[in-house]
Amino acid sequence: MKQIAIYGKGGIGKSTISANIAAAFAEKGLNTWYIGCDPKADGSMTLLGGRKIGTFLERLRSSTDTTEPAYVLGFKGVKCIETGGPIAGVGCAGRGIIVAVQELYKRYFNDDIDVIIYDVPGDVVCGGFAAPLREKFANEVYIVTSGEYLSLYAANNIARGLENLKVNLGGLVCNSRDIKNEERIVDKFAEMIGSGMIGFIPRNPIVRECENRGMTVIEGFPNSTQANAYRRLAESILKNDTLVVPKPVDPEEIRVLLRENE
Amino acid sequence: MSDVLHPRPSPIIAAMYTLRDLDADVIVMHGPPGCGFTASRLLEEAGVTVITTGMQENDLIFGAENRLVEVLKRVDLEFSPRIVGVVGTCASMIIGENLEAAIKKAGIRSIVLPIDIHACSGPNTVGAIKVLEVAMSKGIIPREEFERQKEMLMRATALERERGMTSKPYLKPHRGVTKLKVARMILDALSQSKNVAVVLNAKKETAYRFADVMRAVEYARRRIGGSAVYVANVDPNIGLPRIRRYSADILRDLKDEGITIDFFSGGLDEYPVAGEKAAKYLEDKSIDLRIICGLPHAIPDLKKEDILVTDQPRELRNFIDSGFAYAVGEISTHSMLMGARGIVHSELGDTIRELVDGINK
Repeated sequence: MKQIAIYGKGGIGKSTISANIAAAFAEKGLNTWYIGCDPKADGSMTLLGGRKIGTFLERLRSSTDTTEPAYVLGFKGVKCIETGGPIAGVGCAGRGIIVAVQELYKRYFNDDIDVIIYDVPGDVVCGGFAAPLREKFANEVYIVTSGEYLSLYAANNIARGLENLKVNLGGLVCNSRDIKNEERIVDKFAEMIGSGMIGFIPRNPIVRECENRGMTVIEGFPNSTQANAYRRLAESILKNDTLVVPKPVDPEEIRVLLRENE
Repeated sequence: MSDVLHPRPSPIIAAMYTLRDLDADVIVMHGPPGCGFTASRLLEEAGVTVITTGMQENDLIFGAENRLVEVLKRVDLEFSPRIVGVVGTCASMIIGENLEAAIKKAGIRSIVLPIDIHACSGPNTVGAIKVLEVAMSKGIIPREEFERQKEMLMRATALERERGMTSKPYLKPHRGVTKLKVARMILDALSQSKNVAVVLNAKKETAYRFADVMRAVEYARRRIGGSAVYVANVDPNIGLPRIRRYSADILRDLKDEGITIDFFSGGLDEYPVAGEKAAKYLEDKSIDLRIICGLPHAIPDLKKEDILVTDQPRELRNFIDSGFAYAVGEISTHSMLMGARGIVHSELGDTIRELVDGINK
């Protein structure tokens, strides 16, 4: 079973990438679970025709019935879960992720599963947000970034978290923002932290169009070059056996890298 | 503080006790059901109603503001309290529960003091200071009293670090030497017409029991001779109303036994500084034997031949290991004093009385 967690700066496109690779795995016939960990519970919408599903934590809160399935079936049988959590300003989303991930593992995960994808909110800011990284849960992590300073800065911070927790990084995914020399920047940065760039996703307006229609690109434009980019990424992740605990760099080195590639 | 390994009171518990001293009628613990359990039972013995919001895992995730609002409304309905303290716990404060907001939403008639405190906030006195700060902001105590109390609490923390239970990384509990040995020393001194000083340097309600040593020494002195000097931090004009009542109760009971305090070293909340005053007062009194009851380590010039009477087994260990061979334990003093309104018999006091009665037989 491959258990992967997708991290990256907020708004960088983690959910889009997670949903599209989940769709790519599912169309290959793999038993795939998509676990959206954002309390907003909006990551799975493109796998579910734009539908927002009830959250796992809400179900835990209101019912003790453990026989009903935890997931909602999405595109090509992807098993979708949104962990959910508190509304803004109350409670503890991190605690919510810990409880949800533990419960899922205990009650629902088994050896029949091929891939579990954790779509994790933003940065690794507390122990709760880092829960999917812990032993037994994710065994490899992918960081989504662009060639912009702040997303590389966040990626470096996540690398720091992985180093602390001694968790393997599978590689960086460049979700392009059409920055000059972007592929080279991300590739070089990946090398700087001891890892590699595992995929490059070009910027394409059909991504937004599909999101507006409540579907992944793989579902909406299955024959497009964009869909193929996601499929290539999914394939690389499946085959990837280069896993290393990253070594974060001094953020100043990121600035130097960016200046050299202006 | 970080290298102290043995258990010690938390700011949450100190906050609860300070609320009691402010005569709060109800304390609402906003947290899991067991938080502050032992202290809650004791405080209920003293007449304070302690309520828990009983937070569960789901409340950690989703927040428990509604639970607190509902509990406050029920408290208002069932107890019609004048003052209510809402005390935070580790669970509620670490997830950022907004006590003030919940109190506003509950809209009850009582004065409600929100105490944002948890056990990771530092020394226990931090909790007490927080309560006093909130009480001042609500007009329950004047600024001068707040400043005085804060100063005392900070002195208490410093004293504990310097010479008390947080001065060593680990203290294994000790029950102290036998009362018989120490009682004989006292009676020997009196029978040889020596001058004995009894210093009460106690903290709040524990004075109800330590004051009994004065009664016992006076009982013995009248029967077998000798002289005695009595020094005590029971000034009835200092402290929060509840603490002043304790002093008044003790003075009343001492008066009933014909005992007059020779020197008032301060109020019952002034033990960190009252010890110094007591020692200074005794300096030129040619005392042959000193019996120091309550928190003896607050006396700056403790001598190895002093008799030290205290209640905490770790405090006793601290004394014994420091070479004070006459450290006596009045174990479980605190728990037996909740709700007390007069002096309670001590084991050392009773031992003295028994020996005296034996001599007289």
